[in-house]
Amino acid sequence: MDSLKEDLKKQIIEQLNLEDLTVADIADDALLFNDQGLGLDSIDALELIVLLEKYHGIQLTNPEEGKEAFKSVDTMAAYIRKRKAA
Amino acid sequence: MSKPALYLSAASTISHQPTFGNPGFSAALGPVEASSALISPDYKAYIDAGLLRRMSKILRMSVACAKDCVGQAGIGQPDAIVVGTGLGCLQDTEKFLNTSLTVEGLLPPTSFIQSTHNTMAGQISLSLGNHGYNMTHTQNTLSFEHALLDASMLLREGDRHVLVGAADEHIDILDDIAGRLAFKSDAPLTSGASFFMLSAENQGNAKASLADVYTSGGAGYGQEEIDAFLDRNGLQPGDIDLLLYAGTPAAGVPVQDAKRSLDYLSLIGVYPTASAFALHYAMDLLGANSEVRNVLICNTLRKSNLGLTLLKAVEA
Repeated sequence: MDSLKEDLKKQIIEQLNLEDLTVADIADDALLFNDQGLGLDSIDALELIVLLEKYHGIQLTNPEEGKEAFKSVDTMAAYIRKRKAA
Repeated sequence: MSKPALYLSAASTISHQPTFGNPGFSAALGPVEASSALISPDYKAYIDAGLLRRMSKILRMSVACAKDCVGQAGIGQPDAIVVGTGLGCLQDTEKFLNTSLTVEGLLPPTSFIQSTHNTMAGQISLSLGNHGYNMTHTQNTLSFEHALLDASMLLREGDRHVLVGAADEHIDILDDIAGRLAFKSDAPLTSGASFFMLSAENQGNAKASLADVYTSGGAGYGQEEIDAFLDRNGLQPGDIDLLLYAGTPAAGVPVQDAKRSLDYLSLIGVYPTASAFALHYAMDLLGANSEVRNVLICNTLRKSNLGLTLLKAVEA
């Protein structure tokens, strides 16, 4: 099991107050901003930027990067690894 | 000259006591325990799940009480929404400030947006789809009385129904602050929200009549102010069937000759707008006990502030 993805799911649930969800409810490839996935909105996108800095020390300043990074838990984990490796 | 009475047709309170959806609660209420917790209803019955997840305790309490109140009153939309709060949205304020200490870049938008005192009135308006007057009063321990005064003026200027209420929430740091300030109270610090439908006319469903509201703040109050308030309403101290007062004022019970006196903080705990609970308690009692005709709420929570609210039974 990928612990970064598990941590991300816990952090998303806490940061966005997704009280009815558990880690098991969030698939790695579920689209975060799609009603078929988590159905997040623009305020949640800002909360995810805060999450990246708060838990991972990463500042996301380029909105285009965010669009790609916040597609799913998979893409968020990949973005975090890429930034930490740089 | 006394002003025309206004009418209270609905009330809803979420607190540390079984007050919500429980008419007649006043008959069975004992002292609030220090270990008590907020008794929350199923908020999903009142608030959309998408909105609920972003709401802090005070927002959930306020919106649920407001919607319950509007439902009880059977009024589609109130003409205005007026809210009093002493300390506002503390949970979101604390969250925002804590994050600002640890995060250098973007700060959390939700807690920032919802940290302002007028968030409750705004969220109630959004939840009801209400486009009327929307106002928040924050005047320390007199916040609710000021909201009542505003609502009363609106009704006397032509509004028919005003949703008026108050809310304050407890967060852990308040206990620490109270300790540092050497604040002493026999009752614990608690959270509470109470909302009411106040109307210009009795539509046949009024549970009590709001006769008068008075506030005096900043310099300490005197017994003569209470006497003058009773006098302008044509009452003697002995005409007060029930006096609800806050805590144990240094000068003793404010109206010595009232037929019965009760410290409402012992029932509900301490928060700046606890007098809103006292109003609901009085309404509930007036509805259940035909011998009670006049109730005076004497808000002496802070010794420099005095809030007086006179409630009367609705004439048959």
